[in-house]
Amino acid sequence: MKLSQVLHRQHIGFMFKKHWMVQGKRVPIDTGVEDSLKQKGIPFEDALEFIKEKQEPKERIKIVGPYEHPLPQDENHPDFKERPCYTLKKSNVLLEGISQAQVLTKTIIAEDVLPQRIEELAELPAPKAIHRGVKQAILNANVFDCEQKKLPKKKDPLRPAYNFSRILGISDKRRNLNLTNKLLQLVEKSNDAEVTQNKYVLNDVESLSVFDKEDDLIQFQEMSNILVTSNKPLKHDLNESNIPFIEIPDLYPVKHTVTLPPEHFYAESSKYPVRSSIIKKHPHTTWLHFNSTEVNNIYETPVTPTQILGRSLTHAFTVATAYAKQLYGEDVKDLPDPIHLNCIQTDGQRFHFGVLELNTLNLDGTEGTKNVWYCKNDLKLYDSCRYLSAIPVLENYNPKVYGYINAFYNC
Amino acid sequence: MRLLRINGTFPKLRKLICRRYAQAIQAEENEYTETPVYPPILDMSLQARKLRERETIHKKIENINTVEEKQIALNMPRYYGWQCVILHDDKVPYNALPLVQHYTRTSFKNIDKLPDIYTQSSSVADSVVQEIKPYIEECIAIENEGVEHNIVTSVHKPEQQQIENAKTRNIVKQINRIISNNLTDKVSHILSSQVDYDPRHEAFWFIGGVDVPNNVVNWRKKFKWLKDRAHEPLDRPVQYLGSPLLTIRNQLPLKPVIPYSEAENPEFKVPVYSCVPETVGYYSNYRHGTNIPGFWPGDFDEFGMLSYHGRGHLLDRSESYGAEDNLEALHCQAIKASFGWLLAQANYKGFTTYNDLTYPLVTQTVITNGHLMSFYVYQLNTITMHSDKVDNNPKYNICFGTKPLALYDSIENGKVKGLNEDVLKMLVQFYLNAPEERDHEMAPFLGKEEQIIADIEDDNRRCWLESTYKHIVSNRPKHLLPPELYLWEKIYKIKFNTRFFEAKRKPFEFDINPFNRRLDDHLPPYIPKVLRPYPRSKKKFETTYYPKV
Repeated sequence: MKLSQVLHRQHIGFMFKKHWMVQGKRVPIDTGVEDSLKQKGIPFEDALEFIKEKQEPKERIKIVGPYEHPLPQDENHPDFKERPCYTLKKSNVLLEGISQAQVLTKTIIAEDVLPQRIEELAELPAPKAIHRGVKQAILNANVFDCEQKKLPKKKDPLRPAYNFSRILGISDKRRNLNLTNKLLQLVEKSNDAEVTQNKYVLNDVESLSVFDKEDDLIQFQEMSNILVTSNKPLKHDLNESNIPFIEIPDLYPVKHTVTLPPEHFYAESSKYPVRSSIIKKHPHTTWLHFNSTEVNNIYETPVTPTQILGRSLTHAFTVATAYAKQLYGEDVKDLPDPIHLNCIQTDGQRFHFGVLELNTLNLDGTEGTKNVWYCKNDLKLYDSCRYLSAIPVLENYNPKVYGYINAFYNC
Repeated sequence: MRLLRINGTFPKLRKLICRRYAQAIQAEENEYTETPVYPPILDMSLQARKLRERETIHKKIENINTVEEKQIALNMPRYYGWQCVILHDDKVPYNALPLVQHYTRTSFKNIDKLPDIYTQSSSVADSVVQEIKPYIEECIAIENEGVEHNIVTSVHKPEQQQIENAKTRNIVKQINRIISNNLTDKVSHILSSQVDYDPRHEAFWFIGGVDVPNNVVNWRKKFKWLKDRAHEPLDRPVQYLGSPLLTIRNQLPLKPVIPYSEAENPEFKVPVYSCVPETVGYYSNYRHGTNIPGFWPGDFDEFGMLSYHGRGHLLDRSESYGAEDNLEALHCQAIKASFGWLLAQANYKGFTTYNDLTYPLVTQTVITNGHLMSFYVYQLNTITMHSDKVDNNPKYNICFGTKPLALYDSIENGKVKGLNEDVLKMLVQFYLNAPEERDHEMAPFLGKEEQIIADIEDDNRRCWLESTYKHIVSNRPKHLLPPELYLWEKIYKIKFNTRFFEAKRKPFEFDINPFNRRLDDHLPPYIPKVLRPYPRSKKKFETTYYPKV
């Protein structure tokens, strides 16, 4: 409510407020007492003399509030650690993308190559009912879901100050969650109960991997949006001859810890989300969502395709090392047995498949045993799925992607 | 100038000519019949005329072709939305069962075992339970002790409630996964059904038989023609808002639990709860009525099978409510959730709160915290309960429900002790209850060709309806703020007229109710001159396609 002069006239409360202000500025009137006292010779003192002494500042009272205030996050904090830890979080990407990920994880890449058995399984045709289900899942995730949240602001680069009305719709987080879970449900339903009984599906579990590389302490914090675990470790038959590997590149002048912000509060040991006493603890496939509203460069530049590919590798590496450290201890270097892990990254439309072979955790230099990353990138599940002039459409559904997802689950 | 003048006068000329011809072509109908045919004798009392007016509106809504237009039509009388009584699925005040039963017209039956139609799946369920038992035990143990989930809570709800529901969600996902993976080979309907996590369930209806609130009575007493009608019954709009943890839905509906004719059985009669909802602790809010069963119109899997709900809200109820009221709160939650979901599904089949169902719909509801499970089977028989129908509608909805049953006794050293097979069997029987094709028409009040707006051929009309429908159901705030009565105005202008000398500007000073405004009572978007069709168009405003009710 706007306070106006009219209201002042009406409102008795405002009148009193003004009255106090006027009365507070009163000038003392000379009553003539001073002069008459002087005449009669009676001694008197100035009243201001008695209040001359300045009051000492009181000690602040510690008030018990509704909750205890957290200590400031600085070097006086008891958990503060001198040595900085370069941290990669799930909302951050590497500057150089896949090449930087290669250096950090000491990995060579087999581009467009997946293990033979996966390729064979992916060729198997799926029944029509399944493909109908996949199409329904895509439509449901993109069109028929009822979420109405504010989508990111629309901007026209030619007139950047123009404000478009905000569009409400399905957020990318919800879309990816719906799509991947429905796809996995279909894969599991199309498989025999004996296969699915040996696996376990977890949603939104965090893995943490802390490791040293050339005197730098680095940690990766990652969240598997879906983590499929199984009762025995995943093993791939990998035939490494005649594959053209992409060797570890030289990043000069960039250092490999660029865009990893140093942190002074961190856990010193890695963490794998499933306890070691569980039988179905062995990681099998990890699904990673790329939500464009959540993942950013630490600078304002948009995320590039190679940076997205780099995410897959660092993510798979985090889950695999966390598991390896739980299995063999925190200080393990060369693994006695390589660990294999499947990784699927998706932004709801493009799918990036990868298989990581983790051989070593000794990440110094570029020589010696290396880890291997087999990948097949940029498979589109469909071209577009949306309301096209108020009619729901799904254009160019690609059945191959389902084949790969099914193969990843079954291998 | 001359050309203009001719153009201006021409239509009048044409009209004259037309009229002359029209007189000549008078149809030669036979005006006489053997027996005299009189028009029906209508009750011309005010109440009867008003009732007929309302019935024509209900008939108009029935005749609308598409689902979305019917939903817009329900909202047509209010520009700023209805003042709805809001029923949240996870907010149950003390002693709410009588109100919830009246508002949903539901008779509640306490049961110990599932109704008779589940007996045929009993033997299959026994074998399935034996197969999945070790895996269920394992998943409960893993979810409780074996996995670290990080639970993100928001400030909008009490924390412990959110944590409990998040834990329950994880267990429910695992149980659903195990049961449906096992049953896919045995029964066909599992593969074809869709599983949704945290869908949006909303339902809107009118309830009659509630006392007229005091402010309405006072308003009516101001006008002399309304003085005798001060207590005339009033429809209260009701809005259900909920979000289950997990739902399963299918293309086909479930079989009725009891025959449809049984719905009129007088033993199911529910007493009227006439006190205003504020007496119990339900409050109202302005919003457009929405009916959403978790998907937009056009999805094929339109019928619900099973929904899981959390019971975290019980943790934040006062201890003084006691165990008996907590049990009733679970029943309330189940009734609200089942009725809300089924009503929204019925709306997608063309029935509304004014046009009653012609066949029963069934759903199954499980309320759980991962340890305790209560099972509910709900049959929706009627959805019209507005003040014209609340007393003379013979049909009632029926809800069968169990007490919370423990799925297991305890967890010791990562092992589940004493898994209750009977409880697990009930859950499996819910999954085994196969939906079936019905042999009657499923959507009698929808068009033959056009059932949803995606079927409409006119591009402009289709796009306009789509965007308007989504805008209304989103309930986003209006561009201009709704009219407001400031407190000082209420004191100094309405209660005590101390400012009679001021110019009158606000609507209440002219006895205008600003909320009494229709949805289409606004200027349509303006078409700038450059965008108008060539060569000349006098059409300044875009066309709107609001349903005509």
